[in-house]
Amino acid sequence: MNPAAHTEVSVTRTSIAAVAILIGLAVLPYVIDIYQVQLLTYGLIFAIAALGFNLLLGSTGLLSFGHSAYFGVGAYTVAFMVRDLGTVSMELCIIGGVIGTTIIAALFGYVCVRYTRIFFGILTLALSQVIWSLAFKFFWVTGGTDGIRVPGRGMTLLAGLIDFKGSGAFQKFVFSYYYYVLVIFAVVAALMWVIVHSPFGMALKAIRDNEVRARFVGLSVRRYRWFAFIISGAFTGLAGALWVPLNGLTTPDILYWPFSGEIVFMTVLGGFRTFTGPIVGAIAFNYLKTYAVASSAYWQLVLGVVLVVLVLVLPNGIIGTAQQLFRKLRRH
Amino acid sequence: MDRRTFLNNIGLTVGGAAAATTMPVIGPSVAQAAVAPKGNIPSTPLKMGHMTFLTGPAAVLGEPSLKGHLLAAEEINAAGGILGKRKIETISADEQAGTDANVKELRRMKLSEKIDLFTGVISSGNTPALGPVAEELSLLTIFVDGCTDFLWDKAVPNPKYTFRITNIQSADGVTCALAAAQTWPKAKKIAHIHPDYSYGRNAFDHFMIAYSKLVPGAQVVSEGWPKLGTTDFTAHITKTISSQPDLIVSSVWGGDYVALYKQALRYGMFKDAKFASTIAFGVAPHAIGKDHPEGAIAGVHSNYYFTFPPGNRWPANKTFVEKYFKRWNEYPNFQSDGAYHTLYMYKTAIEKANRLVGGWPDEEAIISQLEGMYYETAAGYLYIRPDNHQGYKDAVTGFSKNVAEYPFQILDPATMITIPIRNITAPPNWPKPGQGHNDPTATYNWIKETWPQVT
Repeated sequence: MNPAAHTEVSVTRTSIAAVAILIGLAVLPYVIDIYQVQLLTYGLIFAIAALGFNLLLGSTGLLSFGHSAYFGVGAYTVAFMVRDLGTVSMELCIIGGVIGTTIIAALFGYVCVRYTRIFFGILTLALSQVIWSLAFKFFWVTGGTDGIRVPGRGMTLLAGLIDFKGSGAFQKFVFSYYYYVLVIFAVVAALMWVIVHSPFGMALKAIRDNEVRARFVGLSVRRYRWFAFIISGAFTGLAGALWVPLNGLTTPDILYWPFSGEIVFMTVLGGFRTFTGPIVGAIAFNYLKTYAVASSAYWQLVLGVVLVVLVLVLPNGIIGTAQQLFRKLRRH
Repeated sequence: MDRRTFLNNIGLTVGGAAAATTMPVIGPSVAQAAVAPKGNIPSTPLKMGHMTFLTGPAAVLGEPSLKGHLLAAEEINAAGGILGKRKIETISADEQAGTDANVKELRRMKLSEKIDLFTGVISSGNTPALGPVAEELSLLTIFVDGCTDFLWDKAVPNPKYTFRITNIQSADGVTCALAAAQTWPKAKKIAHIHPDYSYGRNAFDHFMIAYSKLVPGAQVVSEGWPKLGTTDFTAHITKTISSQPDLIVSSVWGGDYVALYKQALRYGMFKDAKFASTIAFGVAPHAIGKDHPEGAIAGVHSNYYFTFPPGNRWPANKTFVEKYFKRWNEYPNFQSDGAYHTLYMYKTAIEKANRLVGGWPDEEAIISQLEGMYYETAAGYLYIRPDNHQGYKDAVTGFSKNVAEYPFQILDPATMITIPIRNITAPPNWPKPGQGHNDPTATYNWIKETWPQVT
């Protein structure tokens, strides 16, 4: 079998699997209660952020410790639009949020991609903390730690076609918003799949694996990294924009460095060497944190132990390990 | 108008010592006397969610809230439950998880655990986030604290399901200012150290507006805004000292405050300046060591301290402190009082509603009984204003003192300061921010517009 045929088969297989999973996800709200629907919506949104993040880590080999900045800029842009401009259309908010994030990611990326490894990580961390301190300190603009409220039921979806009034508005909102997010997630995941498997994505992998050779082949390493950075930031910003109305408010917590750490955690949990790893990791992490907080006062300890076990026992994450097991079983 | 006339007008009183113990020991009033409930009462348990700080530096102030709640729940359950049938089951959650996680947890409690009542919440950063969520979910909620004016001024301007028990926050800064102006009227150079979030901002604003009305020429010489949860205050302490203030004002609270005062002692911060805090003694009483400076204004969030009223002058306090100590082997703070009486007020509202409509009353009926309720708590009479669902009681603060009876420093009951609440907070229907003024709160505007300037 030649490599091209192999790719075609895997494309077909992947598409079939993806469609099956999407159908499953679409039926789910009729089976589970509204609280679980809400949790899953959070999970899907974080999955978009982690997908974006992994374009840098998995494909380009750059570990960003500052992705909270892009998530937060997306979220705060929407919050400002709703509060100060009176925007209610979710589509306008998404466009605004993504544009805002793209600008910031382009600026920060321009600086950061000049470095790699730990220097890159520290720089992304430092820049994200600049944004955090702005949100935290400009109390009269951003509400400081009080944040800005963006009630989901005040928004409209699909250019005003769907709005939420009357009793049970929150439940109605969650139900519709789940499908809204699911569709965006499907589009975005497909888009990311195309990016990763495009010549551009291959170039990123070449740069990741051997920077010097990539340069000799004629790739403009810095420019490729910059583009990857911008795309990665924009995806994460989209997630931030989607997250605000669901969460009902935005606070500097999502700009603070531990949240960057959580994005890394999600990706590592799922497995950053695979395409689906960050998706599964994000959804799993969301459940893990929610139930750890709910069940124990020592929830930080629970998360810490999980992280240690992960690094020691499952360095390839959930998906990576599952694939290994699958291959082993096949061989026997 | 001179200062003394003004303070007399406002009704600020300094509490006398306890009378001799020859008084007969009387119990608290029995408004909640057992009457057989009307109609059929289901025996399914009542589920309650209680959220407070269980970990981190804020826990030393917040955790007593859960203890107060559990004590009340155990007492009610031991007596057969509410209306003699429904026992209370409590799920608790750690507020330390952060505002976003708290919002998620509240939704989980309502949608997944199906709680009947949500109580607790300590931080003013959290109630404006949780209040709208509770309204959204139609979940009856009685916040124990998180008492920012912002909740009713902006976040939930027309509350239906949400209530709050502890005094409104603006009263805290004003109480501290009145006590300081009465005690040290010559202090003009003021240095501030406040946590950098809504509570600190609120304390700063209301202290200054009230204080500058009473002490002409008062000026801010230094501002420090440590992040909530900070444990190293060195930079703020040295900045404060170098500004050579007459008076240092702080609203740093919980474990943060314990760290602040211990570090400030090492730098001699309390030597050359007076010290006034809105909430220093708001922590569980045993958290304050005997090394704390004596004679400081050590506020309790303008709510409650267990030594006051002393003796049997207010039996509801005496019995509460005894029961609390017996159960937890420590003394209560204002959160314990708030959480304990939250549950009893809820119980009372249900009993009243039951007498009217019979059976287990629906939420509308319970809410109508909570609105306007006047209740005897350990801290004094508590009134729930119907328009904003906020609890009001006379504000207290006091002076720190070491006594032999307690292994920690206490507020001296002989010099406690009590101020009628209606004299320091905006009346109902006073314009909220955005309605003709842009001041931080309605009370701020009310003080600015209606208080005379002392000359």
